[in-house]
Amino acid sequence: MAHAVISCLHANLAALEAVLSDIDQRAITTITCLGDLVGYGPQPNEVVNLVRERSIPSCQGCWDEDIIEGLNACECSYPSQLAERRGHQAHQWTAEQLSEENKAFLASLPMTLRRDRLLFVHGSPNSQHEYLLPDMDAFAALERVQTADADTLFCGHTHRPYVRELRDGVIRVRVQTPADPQAAAEREMALPVRRIVNAGSVGEPRHGNTHATYVIHDEATGNVEIREVPYDVERTCRAIVEVGLPPVFAWRLRHGFEYAERADDASHVCER
Amino acid sequence: MSHTVLLSGPPGCGKTTWILSQIQSYRGPSGYLRVTGYPDEGLAQARDGGLDLAYLRDQCPDLLDLGDLDQALAPHPADLLALIELPQFHPPAQPGLAGVDRRVMPQLQALHLNPDRHLHFGRDPELPRQDTLDFSHLQAWSLNLNATVWDPDSLSSFWFELVNGAYGDVYRAKALMNLPDGRAFFCNWMVSQEGSQFLPLQTLAPPDGRPERLSRLVVQGRDLDPAAIEATVRDCLLSDAVLELQQAPLRQRHTPPTRSA
Repeated sequence: MAHAVISCLHANLAALEAVLSDIDQRAITTITCLGDLVGYGPQPNEVVNLVRERSIPSCQGCWDEDIIEGLNACECSYPSQLAERRGHQAHQWTAEQLSEENKAFLASLPMTLRRDRLLFVHGSPNSQHEYLLPDMDAFAALERVQTADADTLFCGHTHRPYVRELRDGVIRVRVQTPADPQAAAEREMALPVRRIVNAGSVGEPRHGNTHATYVIHDEATGNVEIREVPYDVERTCRAIVEVGLPPVFAWRLRHGFEYAERADDASHVCER
Repeated sequence: MSHTVLLSGPPGCGKTTWILSQIQSYRGPSGYLRVTGYPDEGLAQARDGGLDLAYLRDQCPDLLDLGDLDQALAPHPADLLALIELPQFHPPAQPGLAGVDRRVMPQLQALHLNPDRHLHFGRDPELPRQDTLDFSHLQAWSLNLNATVWDPDSLSSFWFELVNGAYGDVYRAKALMNLPDGRAFFCNWMVSQEGSQFLPLQTLAPPDGRPERLSRLVVQGRDLDPAAIEATVRDCLLSDAVLELQQAPLRQRHTPPTRSA
């Protein structure tokens, strides 16, 4: 059975509608959302309403958490003072716009979703704020999947879609006790193949062009298809300006630049 | 024997860069004057505010400021090379000195400067031609940034947005910007060139509060949005508290020299 995984909608209604239409055309009925329904974009209520209407199971993203609990990430989550100020501006605006009902919905979202050996998270199994980048240390990446007891880990947060296969994972341990140095025991554990699939971003692509991205996973074959969907970017850009968000957000979206660049130390997990 | 050269050309054609190369290759004393250019139909002149002079004097500390009345009216060294920069959008109607804009002459005479050569970018072959653009409409805007210090990563983002059109079509941008560690950069961008120049000033300010050197942003282009530029700049500048936080550890390592090696 094929199912679709979407992430990082960021209050971009035109992009979400285009992606759902693309999924519907493929007669796929199982959709999972990895969070960040809101943040930066101009239609937070509309996007949350659509996810609720379609009954799309979602886990909670870092923006969803921050909107209901208040900003709790430290300045190190932003690459610059400018990005931080813009992030706070977007946060304040979104918090003011979002209905209490939709805030309650975001508050109800789980941190993770699981279907058999598939695990769905926003950032990583450890935190909504942790970036699993495609080039992160292979052992650390494998650890994230293995300790979560999953075969395939679906994540978002980086806004760059990728499929990473972790194979040939071997851990060799030699234990030598002082009592009997000759009896050193060596154990070797061969870890099975694990995969990390990043769904990219529907509402704030960061992969080099303006198309929304998501993934289709075929559970029978294991095949993962990264989908790029063009949408009416100008519609969202107009809405950004009309609702009073900074026009530079529209400029950045129109050119395929993220609203705020990724933090320099992407592995940093804010504990504040 | 002294030489006085009047150098004219449109924005971003390389006047200041060429002048710097002349000063650096000349063995004798040099002086510099930037004359305020005249607007043309639909073409506004930028308010330089001393930016080019500040950069040139940083690179060549002995450079005479010929706009300073005391220096201008004092007897000049016999071998002085006087270089006068004149922003001018269109080529002169006549070759040589006969083509000098008559409106400029009273300014020069008041400073006892009489050009013996006039070179114009895009006309005279001894000057580089590749950066000369023919403008038909140009808006100018500038911002005094004295005593401001930038968050370095924010400066990088702002400059990227500025020169790539987030605040209007920018054809020319230049600036002197202070960083918290005491360095300053001459940021230079022209639509016809690939990439920006970020040239560090030789003069370092001690990491002890806000530097006193000139700091300014000058932009020329079309459909500029000054309010949006200023709003973004405000979000990039460091407060006293953040500046102190960044400079305190630097002061412990700081030694007094005010010019880099």
